[in-house]
Amino acid sequence: MTDLKLLRSATALPASSWQLLPMRFHRFDPDSVLLTNLVGEHVFVSPDQLLAVVDGTCDDQELLARLRARHLIQRPGDRLPAELLAIKLRTRLRHLPDSTGLHIFVLTLRCEHTCRYCQVSRQSAAKSEFDMSQETAGRALALAFRSPSPHLKLEFQGGEPLLNFPLLRWTVEEAKRINEDHGKDLAFVIATNLALLDDDILGFCAKEDVYLSTSLDGPADLHNFNRRRPGQDSWQKTVAGIRKVQERLGTDRVSALMTTTEASLDRAHDIIDTYAELGLRNVFLRPISPYGFAVRPRGGAGYDVDRWLRFYETGLDYIIDLNRNGLPMAESYASIVARKMFSNEDPGYVDLMSPAGMGLGALVYNYDGDVYASDEGRMLAEMHDDTFRLGHVETSSYEEIMLSEKLLQPVQESFTLSAPMCNSCAFEPYCGADPVFHHATAGDFLGHKATSAFCRRNMGVFKVLLRRARDDEFARDLLWRWAQR
Amino acid sequence: MPQDPEAVTISFDRNTTELDALQRAAYAVADLMTVDIRAAAEDYVCTLFPIRAGLDSDELKHRIRAEIIDQGLRLRIARETEPIRNLIFALAFSQTGLADGGDAEE
Repeated sequence: MTDLKLLRSATALPASSWQLLPMRFHRFDPDSVLLTNLVGEHVFVSPDQLLAVVDGTCDDQELLARLRARHLIQRPGDRLPAELLAIKLRTRLRHLPDSTGLHIFVLTLRCEHTCRYCQVSRQSAAKSEFDMSQETAGRALALAFRSPSPHLKLEFQGGEPLLNFPLLRWTVEEAKRINEDHGKDLAFVIATNLALLDDDILGFCAKEDVYLSTSLDGPADLHNFNRRRPGQDSWQKTVAGIRKVQERLGTDRVSALMTTTEASLDRAHDIIDTYAELGLRNVFLRPISPYGFAVRPRGGAGYDVDRWLRFYETGLDYIIDLNRNGLPMAESYASIVARKMFSNEDPGYVDLMSPAGMGLGALVYNYDGDVYASDEGRMLAEMHDDTFRLGHVETSSYEEIMLSEKLLQPVQESFTLSAPMCNSCAFEPYCGADPVFHHATAGDFLGHKATSAFCRRNMGVFKVLLRRARDDEFARDLLWRWAQR
Repeated sequence: MPQDPEAVTISFDRNTTELDALQRAAYAVADLMTVDIRAAAEDYVCTLFPIRAGLDSDELKHRIRAEIIDQGLRLRIARETEPIRNLIFALAFSQTGLADGGDAEE
């Protein structure tokens, strides 16, 4: 104890003897203020403590020690905090020079589903003029391999991409052939409703190491209400497909995500139970995207941010309790955010990147060869807004696409370190820029953060996670584990 | 100034309140009100216009006062920490090749 007292006295900071390091604050509760440093490490203090620290009058040595440990203050002459913050900042941004790891190939607009929230102009399963051609896929591959990223993920989307399976097979094989000269870390994902999955496709996925991602909105009645197909058997087909993939390829080779519609809002437990019963260990509680057909009266988007946040909080707490009772499950969005909160690694999630992930994180090659900065940008084009169309695989070079004003302008205008309100927001290190969302909802790339649904939703999620981490030791450990995955 | 029966006026001493803090606060409360800021001899005179009916005028005044104090504190912290913030960013990017267009660190 004496040693400890000596140590404390040796490191004690007299009043006005510390310098502030860059910090941002948010009044979290009436008696609690969140402080974050440049890279998002955080401390909770009282409002009086914040003022005392800024005024240089604080004599609470325990608090001062915590603030020093979190690089929120330093002693004059200290060099280490600045160097450590610089290393952490560089680590968080180290993916920037390696741009565009995700390349989305829209193999066809055809689909045999008519989901009520579908954002794209799906075509009937017989209209093959809405299929991507082999020539277009080849040109898209050539562009994809120009990306500096050492990791390339090719995601096949639609419509239903399995309706154009011969091209999917060719594209995977051709990508592997091209990669013999590049040596990149290649990954393949098919975003499919699984209704058309057969042994031939499964065998191909096994041989070529292809992952499958599907949509599962919850229990049968909810899923089939949202995701309609002839026979009203979407859920049955999807579940059968999930089980087939799990048996043949392994449980980690198929993942699912859900879309929240009005009909989902009171069903968080049912949805999560459905995932648990299928052995799916990740649930992505996603709000509906305000694009295309989803905003029609019957599209399922008729709820506000606060209502979705209540749904999210209910679902998250249920998942935490399942873990408490021994069933390991994770919520995908919380895992992404936890990684930004509790590690120095950026998960590279396109919607939570700044500079914005459009183009830099993902490129989309439409069936007709048009290149878009994001999937949502493609959806806007379906509604006759081509703001985010960057070029065409046949006529645009890689340089023309990546240096296009249509890409650079929204990225620059939405950069959170300079955007009004974002630049002084305590949650900025956890958040991102979404110029496509703000263009669609506010009419400009930046939006107004005081009224932005993106801002309100994400701040709501950040607060829920920080509150759980502060008040519940088990939840804190769980979030830390999710952050390290 | 057009008359609006819902509008309320509140003044801030120019010696103790920064215009920058007022403007930032006005931006941040745009979900509740718009703010007209005019410089008078000793004060900044702010007229608060609620953006929808039924908003309590005292609540609007509390909200803008609290926001101005927070924005003032943010400005103070930002000024005090600007040199070291610049140093940290310089350190972070100095070894990446991004700042000078050269190759990344070897």
